[in-house]
Amino acid sequence: MQSANMFLKKTVRSCVLPFAAQYGMKKDLFPLSRTLSLSLCLKQDNSCKPSEKLDLDAWKKVMKSGLHEEVREMVSEPQEPSSLAAAREILEMWRLAGRLVPENISEEQLKTFMECPSKSAKRKYLKYLHLKELHKKSDKRKMDEKRERRLEAQEQASKMDETKKSSFICMWSNSMDKAYNWRAAQSMIFGQPLVFDMSYEKEMSVREVTNTVRQIVLGEGSNRRSVDPFHIHFCNFKDNSLYHKEFIKHYREAWGKLLITVTDQCYTEIFPKNKLIYLTADSPKVMKSFDHDKIYIIGSMVDKSIKTGVSLARAKRLGLETAALPLEKYLLWSTGAKNLTLDQMMHILLTLKDTADWKKALEFVPKRKYCGFVNRPVQELKKSLDLINTLKLGKRREEVQKQFAKNYSKKYKLK
Amino acid sequence: VQPPEKPLQPEEWNKLREDFQSPEIFEEVMFNSMIRCNSPIDVAKSLLSHLAKRNGDISYSVLVKYLTLCVQQGQVSEICDVYDIMKVRFKILESGAYNLLIKGLSNSDQWRMALTLLKEVKKIMIPSRTCYESCIKAASRHQDMKLAFELYNEMLAKDVVPTLDVLQSFFDFSRGMKDAQLQKELFAILLYLRDNQIYPHKTFMWSIKLWFESIPGGNWRGHLTNIKDSGQCPVCNHQLEDSNLTEEEYSNLSERIIRDVIHGTDTFRKTSPQEFEAFQTFVENRLPFDIVIDGLNVSHIKPKKMQCENLYDAINCLAKENVRLLVLGRKHMLINSSNWKREIMKEMQNKADFFFAENISEDDAFLLYATLRSGKHCKFVTRDFLRDHKACLSDSLTRHLFRKWQRGHQISKKKCFSSVFSQQPAFRYDCVVQTTGDTWHIPYKDVFEEKYSYRVPRKWLCIQQKL
Repeated sequence: MQSANMFLKKTVRSCVLPFAAQYGMKKDLFPLSRTLSLSLCLKQDNSCKPSEKLDLDAWKKVMKSGLHEEVREMVSEPQEPSSLAAAREILEMWRLAGRLVPENISEEQLKTFMECPSKSAKRKYLKYLHLKELHKKSDKRKMDEKRERRLEAQEQASKMDETKKSSFICMWSNSMDKAYNWRAAQSMIFGQPLVFDMSYEKEMSVREVTNTVRQIVLGEGSNRRSVDPFHIHFCNFKDNSLYHKEFIKHYREAWGKLLITVTDQCYTEIFPKNKLIYLTADSPKVMKSFDHDKIYIIGSMVDKSIKTGVSLARAKRLGLETAALPLEKYLLWSTGAKNLTLDQMMHILLTLKDTADWKKALEFVPKRKYCGFVNRPVQELKKSLDLINTLKLGKRREEVQKQFAKNYSKKYKLK
Repeated sequence: VQPPEKPLQPEEWNKLREDFQSPEIFEEVMFNSMIRCNSPIDVAKSLLSHLAKRNGDISYSVLVKYLTLCVQQGQVSEICDVYDIMKVRFKILESGAYNLLIKGLSNSDQWRMALTLLKEVKKIMIPSRTCYESCIKAASRHQDMKLAFELYNEMLAKDVVPTLDVLQSFFDFSRGMKDAQLQKELFAILLYLRDNQIYPHKTFMWSIKLWFESIPGGNWRGHLTNIKDSGQCPVCNHQLEDSNLTEEEYSNLSERIIRDVIHGTDTFRKTSPQEFEAFQTFVENRLPFDIVIDGLNVSHIKPKKMQCENLYDAINCLAKENVRLLVLGRKHMLINSSNWKREIMKEMQNKADFFFAENISEDDAFLLYATLRSGKHCKFVTRDFLRDHKACLSDSLTRHLFRKWQRGHQISKKKCFSSVFSQQPAFRYDCVVQTTGDTWHIPYKDVFEEKYSYRVPRKWLCIQQKL
């Protein structure tokens, strides 16, 4: 062993090193650099020559000399309760260590951070804040660039200085709003009701409620812009609930002027029970067609920690009919949960209402969740799925069947 | 990038940096690859000196990376220097740096300093388990068992879970010591294993065995063995604890299953109150059963056979011994179809009691309820591991109880394609670390990693005291 080592050392010294020195350590010498790294541990003894010239501990002196200013800076920080200040300090150190931590953090966020029950919860929250900060920054940068471009364009336009004649005054967005509101107002009298069930606040975390409200706001927007809007009802809506607060954050003063019905009553008190259909992904019944006489209910809930059967339970309790979208019938499902976001549901229902075309409606299901559309019967689909799986995964037939039975269990069990 | 083998001059570093695609992260990448290749620290130092000269400062993350390299190579004096620099530069450090410092110092003769550092960490946060691990190992390596156990107990009090490695080191370093207090503490560790249903791996088991045998005047002897199905130890003929739950545990578990699994946050999620009530009266009128069968699960055993045939085979196989059977199913089984023939269903209903739940209800919850209500002798048949139901239980103690009960009462069929329904017997003895005072029985795993939580080890260490 000893002699082998010596031999290695010698060969390394005699042939590889001069070669390496000659060519430097560039990347195009990749096969060679591999041999170099293997021999690294032998190198310690022949590295003394250049270190004589180098002062290897110079950095320590530099680091120790610069400390007085740093200490003084620490003192002049704004006063905060000690625990918060300590948390802020830890965050600062994490940021220095290169973790995903926001640069600026408000006192409120800091308190939320400290209330996180576990280390991983803390880490996740910080990452969330960090990403939010990054988005905000890049948005701001884009806005600035846009403004500059616009100013430039205006300058150029003012040089041209020739107003075009047109029979309309340029007030499109304003008049569009009026038209939309007119339609929404009509829908409040003649439109088909669509209910959002706002009774899931207890099942959700604060962030989930925020996401829910955001999705509803998006959904409401697309409803307003549609040709024939729904008459939206927010049922079981409690004043001063988290939902309410979030809505006000989004709509501000427009909240009072929205052309929708908001009530703390339950949908069963407003509408006849036999007309109600609760839409839930857990429902054993699959929706065949869109019924213009029914009132569809959507649970206003985002469940990141997939809670199966919560909305189905609610419908069962009230003895309501339930339905799920026929996702498996029309789409070759690949990944992801079958529950869709509220704005996607809104798009799908609006399209169904206008066209009764499932294919068109299900275009709004995110593309990553399915491989393609199917119009063939299930048996045929099963065959092709079988084939795909055997080709792709080399799975045995039985396993594939089992998988299929799991995916389509409802149909087979519930003859 | 490949780190250089020798310290470089500033000019050379500059050149390397310029040649690199993105010079801003050059230092970071270079240090990472130095850590990966375990480069000599002189090289790292030369880069640090270059950095210090250029910027007049070295960032915290680079310092931590340098520290990683020093710890990796056990360069104690460097570790101390870096700590001195960090201490004056920063008011506090973050957990990564503390972990490294403590790990580095605890392996040296400066290990007392690691303890002071640990105290410092405690002021600002809960130390990580690696911190505790390093300190405990250092203390026990220097035969300061009292301190080691102090730290260990402190760790448990803070809900920091010790690694098996730490527990093993206690046994390794206490070998040959005669100290009643110490012995008590080590027994406590074994009981900790028992309470948390942890099984030591093979090397850990050897440490335990060697420690027992090394106690001066203890006369302990250890043997490796397999326990018979009857639960008797072949070495000392001692009968292991049986897998039955105590009365209190049993009633506790039934209560919790009804509360957490069946009702949960909303009874409507798994069943409905009317249905559950109907099921309850059904069960109460026919108690007690001997075996409860999950009809749908059993009916899927052989995919080539008709589903009702599978169920029929299973019922025939179990009904022979004149036991009272309950089969749980769903209403759709009653509708004549290609998989469920009405005549066969009728015949089965003569041999066993059937309860049909709504098609959208969960029959597993009913299975658990009926089995628990029938009493301790009652077993149940399903291939399901019931993991999702275990997960509904809110605390780990009840989950352990559930697992224990499940081991003792679940009959699941082996992987088989033969025509006979063969059954795997439920365990009669309890698979945990156990003692009678002058004997210890310790189950152990052959492999280090635990793959399946439902799988229990079959190999045991038997230790007995010859007086």
